[in-house]
Amino acid sequence: MTVSRLVSHPLGDSALTIRFGSEKSPELLKRVHAAASAVSAAAIPEVEDVVTAYLSLAVFYDSLKTTYSEMAGRVLEACERGSTKPSGAETVRTHDIPVAYDGPDLEDVGKAVGLSAEDVITRHLARTYSVDLIGFVPGWAYLSELDPALHLPRRSQPRPRVPAGSVAIAGSQTGVYPLVTPGGWHIIGHTDSVMFDPARDPPAALRPGDRVRFVRVK
Amino acid sequence: MITITQAPPYLTVQDSGRRHARTFGVPRGGAMDLFALEALNSIVGNPPDAGALEWALSGGSLKFTTDGAFAIGGARARALLDGRDVPPFTTTYAAAGDELEIQQIVGGRFLYLAFAGGIDVVPVLGSRSTYLPGHFGGFEGRTVARGDSLPLGNRPPSIPAAGFSCPAELLPAYTSSVVRVTPGTHADMFDDSAWRIFTETNFLVAHASDRTGYKLNGHPLSHDIGSLPSDPGCQGAIQIPSEGTPIVLMADAPTVGGYPKIAVVSKTDMPILAQRSPGESVRFELITIEQSQRALKRRASDQKTIRSLGAASA
Repeated sequence: MTVSRLVSHPLGDSALTIRFGSEKSPELLKRVHAAASAVSAAAIPEVEDVVTAYLSLAVFYDSLKTTYSEMAGRVLEACERGSTKPSGAETVRTHDIPVAYDGPDLEDVGKAVGLSAEDVITRHLARTYSVDLIGFVPGWAYLSELDPALHLPRRSQPRPRVPAGSVAIAGSQTGVYPLVTPGGWHIIGHTDSVMFDPARDPPAALRPGDRVRFVRVK
Repeated sequence: MITITQAPPYLTVQDSGRRHARTFGVPRGGAMDLFALEALNSIVGNPPDAGALEWALSGGSLKFTTDGAFAIGGARARALLDGRDVPPFTTTYAAAGDELEIQQIVGGRFLYLAFAGGIDVVPVLGSRSTYLPGHFGGFEGRTVARGDSLPLGNRPPSIPAAGFSCPAELLPAYTSSVVRVTPGTHADMFDDSAWRIFTETNFLVAHASDRTGYKLNGHPLSHDIGSLPSDPGCQGAIQIPSEGTPIVLMADAPTVGGYPKIAVVSKTDMPILAQRSPGESVRFELITIEQSQRALKRRASDQKTIRSLGAASA
């Protein structure tokens, strides 16, 4: 077995966390995603769910059928196999999401960063984003690599109800609200694409590691 | 079928939750008190994870439109079936037209009502539990209201005899304030003084507590961990935000979060915590992961005992 800095830790009595490092980076995130695919591919019967984050992944398991130490051994083994796999073995999916740039915060975002609304749109359209993380609410994808010229703290007053499909930015990220939820991001547009539908399989349009391009519609 | 004739402000359909949807950001969800859900289902002859009603905040009533067995338990509330007392965790038979009246909840927080056949709503993402923030699952993704009629599944092949009751010694220590925990993913980031406060002082459940999380008031656990990159969370995870007072993630725990997690509540003791009302105290007792998993296996064997005793009475 290769020497590894992977560390496992219980996350309560029915889940465990594997930590890949202590500093956020795109490379580390790729290792986390590759390891998560390897854990899923290993089809360990007691595993219920795999959740990825920036530095770690969590494996939820049926603790009536196994123990923490047994699961930690098997999951670590799968993770190590995953992170030594040659890169590019996984096909990266790229999604085009149509956006109408008609959000209530578009003008204010422009003023706050010293750009015209049209320039905000151009910069938001110019990049291909990666899905760092799925979470916060069902189907919410944290999309990284927003143009630094558009970085803004969250709104000081979160909205109690942000409509589903709202395309928003905050900090170094952008995203699409998958459900009607409270939210503090700056809404610059909306999409008719359904990001989350519990009746669909899979329910979420995006998964960690996917790439996303926004396409302008009038 | 049953029809709600007077609904409490909070009433939803719950089962044991979604085991395979966290990858998509969907919380596990399910009953806040999984012990009560599973035991009551066994008491009416259902599989342990059948859909049941989760009822809170006040009394109310419902009407049976067909004959059937039911049982109530979890929070303590006086219940009357056409004027006769309904004891908790006990198989009770109702006739079509009977009205079940739940009077004020006098102890605990979430009352469960299981019906033979289970509440037969369409499963969403593998579960009948209601996820209110996402408006899906359960009965139309919402709280059940006055006038709603809920379908019941087919009568189970075998239902315990009327009066069958879960032995008291198999019930969780609902009136205890001690909740066992295992070290969380950020346990090492907290110093000895924070750990002393955490394990040696009482916390009080705050009013700001719901299915997503219970906020606790008490001595703050000072730390300067700062903000962490979001990482996976789970039911029972105890987060310590910068102001130092704990938030325990409950049934609808988000799948990821950014606060440091000092500990995680043992799944076996989640029903005890879930049933604590605002103002009631909680004290955390640190145990090992091996102890926590052993306790969970004992609990599962207790549930099996309840099922076999019930089946033997049928």
